[in-house]
Amino acid sequence: MRIVSNDFIDRPRLARRRRTFFTAVFILTSLATWFMADLLWQDGGQLSVLEWTLLGLFVLLFTHIAIGFVTALLGFYVVNRGGDSRQITSTVKPGEEVPLASTAVIMPVFNEDVSRVFEGMRVIFRSLEETKKLEHFDFFMLSDSNQPNQWIQEEVAWVELCKQVSGFGKIFYRKRRQQINKKAGNVADFLRRWGKSYRYMVVLDADSIMTGEALVKLVATMEKNPGVGIIQTAPRLVNGETLYSRLQQFANRLYSPIFLAGLNYWQQYDGNYWGHNAVIRVQPFIDHCALPDLPGSEPFGGRILSHDFVEAALMRKAGWAVWLASDIDGTYEEGPPTLIESAKRDRRWCQGNMQHSWLLAAKGFRPINRFHLGMGVMAYVSSPLWLFFLVLSTIHVFDLVRSPAHGAALEIQTSFFGYIIAVPEAFTLFVFTMLLLFLPKIIGVILTVQDKKQAERFGGPGAVVLSALIENAFSALLAPVNMLFNSKFVVYTLLGQGVSWVTQKRGSDDDDTDWREAIITHSPHILFGVVWGVSSYIISPAFFWWLSPVLAGLVLSIPISIALSKVSLGQKARQWKIFLTPEETQPPYELRRLRQNLAECYKHMRPIESLRADYGMLQAVLDPYVNAVHVSLLRQRRPSEESRDYFAQLRMRLLREGPAGFTTKEKMALLLDADSMIWLHRELWCMPSQGLAEWWRLAVRQYNVLTAAPITALYR
Amino acid sequence: MELPLESVDAPLSRFRPRTGTMEAWNAAYVRVEDYLRAHRIHNRLHQSRLIQTVLERAARRHEANPALEPTTLAAEEIEALMDEWFSEVLDNKNHPQERVATAGRVAMLLSDGPQKWPYAFLDSQTIPEDFTREMRASSMQAGPDMTFSNMAPRPIDLGTISEAAGETLERFEKWPILRTLVLWGFFLATLLAIFRVTR
Repeated sequence: MRIVSNDFIDRPRLARRRRTFFTAVFILTSLATWFMADLLWQDGGQLSVLEWTLLGLFVLLFTHIAIGFVTALLGFYVVNRGGDSRQITSTVKPGEEVPLASTAVIMPVFNEDVSRVFEGMRVIFRSLEETKKLEHFDFFMLSDSNQPNQWIQEEVAWVELCKQVSGFGKIFYRKRRQQINKKAGNVADFLRRWGKSYRYMVVLDADSIMTGEALVKLVATMEKNPGVGIIQTAPRLVNGETLYSRLQQFANRLYSPIFLAGLNYWQQYDGNYWGHNAVIRVQPFIDHCALPDLPGSEPFGGRILSHDFVEAALMRKAGWAVWLASDIDGTYEEGPPTLIESAKRDRRWCQGNMQHSWLLAAKGFRPINRFHLGMGVMAYVSSPLWLFFLVLSTIHVFDLVRSPAHGAALEIQTSFFGYIIAVPEAFTLFVFTMLLLFLPKIIGVILTVQDKKQAERFGGPGAVVLSALIENAFSALLAPVNMLFNSKFVVYTLLGQGVSWVTQKRGSDDDDTDWREAIITHSPHILFGVVWGVSSYIISPAFFWWLSPVLAGLVLSIPISIALSKVSLGQKARQWKIFLTPEETQPPYELRRLRQNLAECYKHMRPIESLRADYGMLQAVLDPYVNAVHVSLLRQRRPSEESRDYFAQLRMRLLREGPAGFTTKEKMALLLDADSMIWLHRELWCMPSQGLAEWWRLAVRQYNVLTAAPITALYR
Repeated sequence: MELPLESVDAPLSRFRPRTGTMEAWNAAYVRVEDYLRAHRIHNRLHQSRLIQTVLERAARRHEANPALEPTTLAAEEIEALMDEWFSEVLDNKNHPQERVATAGRVAMLLSDGPQKWPYAFLDSQTIPEDFTREMRASSMQAGPDMTFSNMAPRPIDLGTISEAAGETLERFEKWPILRTLVLWGFFLATLLAIFRVTR
């Protein structure tokens, strides 16, 4: 077992930091609880069951708010002092040349936009090449794509990328036959095959970008700190085009520095892993981080979906340090473009985080890791708890209104979340809560505005303040919608159900959320908001007005969701300097390159509509080079008699009828069979036209047009 | 190789198959042309030389067996021509016969053969040395040599509470009726609770 060295930060000092953090959370929560209990007490002189429940919920929810606030406040303290002396990156002195070790940069992909994925890899590869340290790094594209088009395009793109950057032997491509255990399984498969060859691996997401400098710094830091198992960077959100994604990336860029500084202040070597843009020491990861299944079956049990937090906990359990290096620049990711896409991602994360409840009491985990797991659970469970709290408050108000004793009090007192309360005390609690919610944001704005250079990078002080105001207004409107989304996800997960989504009708120029999708997705929110609003108004108009910010977000969810999904509005906002980020005003070289390359890629002529759906299959069968590359990448198999008959029948059907009647499973089966692919290529070109399906005849005619120029890296 | 490429010196206009319809040979011509273009052979002069070679070989086979389709024969001939040519160029070292064309095409793609040596494709007489060298040197490595590790899932001791909850859940999953009853019970309890607190 590896024991984390005490040299870096001595235990008493770390204990002091943690005591400060948890004591501040405790004091703030206690104060707020005292106010709340007093208010409830005033209603009738003693607490009823309902009031006890309300108070319990309040404590839980307020603690959650206080944790965020205290983290930000400590971050502010650290930033104001000019930074933390206890940062893992400070172990490498500026300009110090640290010998590097073999590192695999791995990018697990699953049906992603092939152009984006490979152009991202190209940019990272080139950036690393410019550091002159490329020899220490190998790149792996680990595909779990289960769509024929994606798979074939990935192969073509890989070959072209390798040709263009002389990357053969440096950039590798692996397609898994069986997509077992999703991303964690994909990474584990890589480690089983090649893990021993590398001391470190840098895990990226399909939308990650890391500069060569950042990668070199990460590996150098690992080399300097042999007791460290994981170093997690804090990727910045970039490349947002829609209003929603630009809003998110602005908020992330403006507010996150103080939160991250605060986080590092109290967690130190007990950090967390967020699944990507992090460097991992391979051997301890292989030894300790293979994940078992949880009790029960999915969605609440079974295989662990959100693997990252658990892997960090297991790494710490084994004695290896896990650090957050929020001060490393040049690490980026992209956010979801719309509210609905964001909810879809939350749905997955919710299920994964809920599973962590099993692990809260696991033996051997460190308290801070339990805390991380607990916070992950609370990130989603807090939504139904808030909803429950508000609904109980409504019932409580109804109770008070019906009671003649309190009815009189209503006229001279005001109401807060359903409580008939004396104005000064309620107001104090209200201001206190708002302070905790908004002060970190205000601090973020002040810190940026007072630094003239930094403010200019956000578009100027005026732009920062205006953008922050608009961001806060939208956040307030989105909060109740997200609350309902997450509540639904939590309940469905507990009931063992999946959530179905409306398929978007693509076709508009900027792929906005269409009205049909928005109406079907948000109708329940509107209905809930209207019923809740009307009933609360009937119970007590004063209570209705207290609730109105929550109700407004719900009732207006459709137009808000559509407006935020607009690329055109995102562009307009950029013109008006709203939500500008430093990565937009002064984009780093790598992001500029990515943007230019992608613009080139997307200029390519797309296949005609009738061929587009099965273009991957078309290329793999028809194109002599794509067919050859594909066959070369397949593993040789000895088929059984039955499978030979099955494939013979499938092949003939494909040529005579075309791929339209084929299921994805059948197409994938053919694509996985090397003999079938060789046979199909030969037969397609040998068979007289009249023997072929019309689809293939059209493909042959059209393909000549498309291949007039050599295949470039990426067709979109 | 069965047919030397010097025979392509004869212009294509003199190609007169003795058997088969003009329409069928026209279709065969189009197919070979399409196939060459799919190989990125865009040089018209080189294309027509190759087409003539292929069609002449196909025509000879068609004379022997007129029942066969000229398109099929032409496609088979160009396949055969390629197999022979790739074997020669690659020196056919490590590839089983049925994979020679596959290996050859990969090498062509990686060496940018059609672009850098537009007249070399299927020419057995004057194959540029640098082209052969490049073809033989081309290699496509999808992954480095494997170094297997054992990464077996290790059980996590979930602690007494989670273990007990897990066992209960697993038992629950086996009894769907009980699960439904508990859900109904929970729903009723919620209704009762709301009723109680609003009295």
